[in-house]
Amino acid sequence: MKPFRLLFSLILAAIIFVGFTPNAWGFCGFYVAKADAKLYNQASQVVLARDENRTILTMANDYQGDVKDFAIIVPVPVAIQKEQVRIGDAKVIERLDAFSAPRLVEYFDSDPCRRILYRSREGLSTDLPRPVAPSRRADANALGVTIESRFNVGEYEILVLSAKESNGLATWLKQNGYRIPRGADRLLQPYIRQQMKFFVAKVNLGEFNKSGYQNLRPLMIAYESRKFMLPIRLGTINSTNEQDLIVYVLSPKGQAEVTNYRTVKVPTGDRIPVFVKNEFSDFYKSMFQTSYTREGKNIAFLEYAWDMGSCDPCSAEPLTPEELKKAGVFWLKPDKGSNAFISRIHVRYTRNKFPEDLMFQETSNREQFQGRYVLQHPFKGEATCRAGQEYKRSLPRRFEQEARTLAQLTGWNIRDIRSKMNVVSSNYSPNPNPTPFWQDIWGE
Amino acid sequence: MLKDARDYQILFLSLFLVLGIGTRDWTLHPEFILVAIATCCLTQWVAASLKYFIEVDNKDARDNGNTEGLIDTKNLADVFNFSLVKPAFRSAIITSLGLSLLLRVDHCSTMVLAGAIAISSKFIFKIKDKHFFNPANIGIIAVLVLTQDAWVSPGQWGEDWWYLLLFAGTGGLIVKKVGRWDTTAAFLGAYALLEAIRNFWLGWTWDVYWHRLMSGSLLLFALFMITDPRSIPNARISRYLWAISIALLTFILRNYFFIPTAVFWALFALAPLTIVFDSIWQAPRFSWQETSPSFTENLTLDLAIAPKSAPQMEREKSQVG
Repeated sequence: MKPFRLLFSLILAAIIFVGFTPNAWGFCGFYVAKADAKLYNQASQVVLARDENRTILTMANDYQGDVKDFAIIVPVPVAIQKEQVRIGDAKVIERLDAFSAPRLVEYFDSDPCRRILYRSREGLSTDLPRPVAPSRRADANALGVTIESRFNVGEYEILVLSAKESNGLATWLKQNGYRIPRGADRLLQPYIRQQMKFFVAKVNLGEFNKSGYQNLRPLMIAYESRKFMLPIRLGTINSTNEQDLIVYVLSPKGQAEVTNYRTVKVPTGDRIPVFVKNEFSDFYKSMFQTSYTREGKNIAFLEYAWDMGSCDPCSAEPLTPEELKKAGVFWLKPDKGSNAFISRIHVRYTRNKFPEDLMFQETSNREQFQGRYVLQHPFKGEATCRAGQEYKRSLPRRFEQEARTLAQLTGWNIRDIRSKMNVVSSNYSPNPNPTPFWQDIWGE
Repeated sequence: MLKDARDYQILFLSLFLVLGIGTRDWTLHPEFILVAIATCCLTQWVAASLKYFIEVDNKDARDNGNTEGLIDTKNLADVFNFSLVKPAFRSAIITSLGLSLLLRVDHCSTMVLAGAIAISSKFIFKIKDKHFFNPANIGIIAVLVLTQDAWVSPGQWGEDWWYLLLFAGTGGLIVKKVGRWDTTAAFLGAYALLEAIRNFWLGWTWDVYWHRLMSGSLLLFALFMITDPRSIPNARISRYLWAISIALLTFILRNYFFIPTAVFWALFALAPLTIVFDSIWQAPRFSWQETSPSFTENLTLDLAIAPKSAPQMEREKSQVG
């Protein structure tokens, strides 16, 4: 009895402790800007193509600052050699984004007096991610830092470091011109002790200018490790806000999920007022924020899960085998079709709600899922038959339901929604003065 | 109130299922729950009946040399008395609810396989009439290994404090009722200690540590799975050792082999230790039924001193659980 009580109070104590300890945290790497430029990485896109222990990681790079200030430090599970690093194609990430983005679907009510159905589709791609960070060169020294490899790939100069002590590594980085955020050295230690290596990339200006590209291109790293994770902790050092990370996990098996946080599907399939068509981005952002808050801010959202051979409705054409290869899918065999399953996982993280790096697992779950929102256009024409009149009478209730759904999903004010709807739907608002219920049997 | 701790267990596990489906956004198909329950109950019934027939046969053979015809008649009547098998359905339902809570599958057939293996294991992997694998656990491990479409979602509960309180409260009630709080405490204590040492050594902030411990799945495991009083060691000292070994193996598998489902593998791998510990430290075996003191004494004596000669009635009881 006593030990039980003790156990119970220990658990309780633990909960209280966790619940009331305020703290703050981010993606793979942190910006190490030079000079005093304060850089914040607010959103990142990562592609993880994974089969068993083999992974190809692609980090999208939409870094907007001066490229000479760009550098990134990413903890990686194993040492990386030159052959394991490639330049990716930014277009492929755009394609993945477009293919998996939450979508609007439009349906048009048919003439209730003549039942013919047709529909059109439309997919909208939401805007997403952001990039990475900077570095400078240095020599190996007595700080316990070992340069595992050093090479150039495209416009990037890459260093792979291992270290014995975080202080040594931090000092080395500083001495070599990398500006690391305050508090970073303490955060480097857990990675060092887990025998992880540090992948440091910065831009070789000569190569960059020669390449003629306007923007930095994605970096791809291939490695073999049981660890199926993304280090987000370092990225929270230089970002005080909520950060968005979109992970596209490509797997031959099925859905991927986060194992150390809850993976939740975004609300989907709801019928919303047609005016949202013109403000879908706002709608999605508000809806995402509302769900995120409602779920406690410590969850990962599944936005899309689909076999990449098809889509329905398609917001973009499925990727070709060529494009999949560019996205890192390495297990495709000719004649075997595109055996790749995509999971789009959207994580909005902060330091205090995501203390631990993201751990993933692939499952054999091949259930398909998509974030999909339905616009149902009412029939606009004349409908004088009996069915038509009933149809028109049913519309106000339907509009009200759509308004409520929208308000609930987004947290928007229902009055605003109603007034917007009236503007848009006044054309076919069938009857501004609803018919009294008795009229059907008693007449006027 | 409910007399049998298993009734509470069924109640609570059903509650978790309802809560999980209602609030946790699981990819859980209600039909799979029905399939799991049906499979487990059917397997339990078939296996228990088979076992009963075999035992009666053997006994008949032994008794043929005897002149005590009375026993034969009694057994013959018992063969048709299915009430002897009935009580075990509770355990079968608990197993099926456990499977439904933890295991995710794409096809019904996989759930059928898991349920059948889970329940059969009680009749196959046993020594001195005591099964040593946790049925739900072996069912999960079996389909993870044997099929392509099974998985476990360790993150499915998240780490909401009110779930943790709910698990701690309901689980605490049950382990207290069956007197197995020592196992939960030893497991959680040892695991928490190991994780604390690692966290300190790595230099993570302590919220990382709490986040790792505050997983609903871990707590559910500690309170509802490793406390099954029928399959875990009988003596308290052996339960301590057993639970600590599982905590240690879980810790190693999770942190050095990066297996998200480490707890289930650890329990599976170490379950056979029960036999070893039971042979070193003897103690009366747990029985679900609340029996009269005199009977309990007999039972204790039989099991502790001469398990083979335990009365027929006790052997029937051991199908339970």
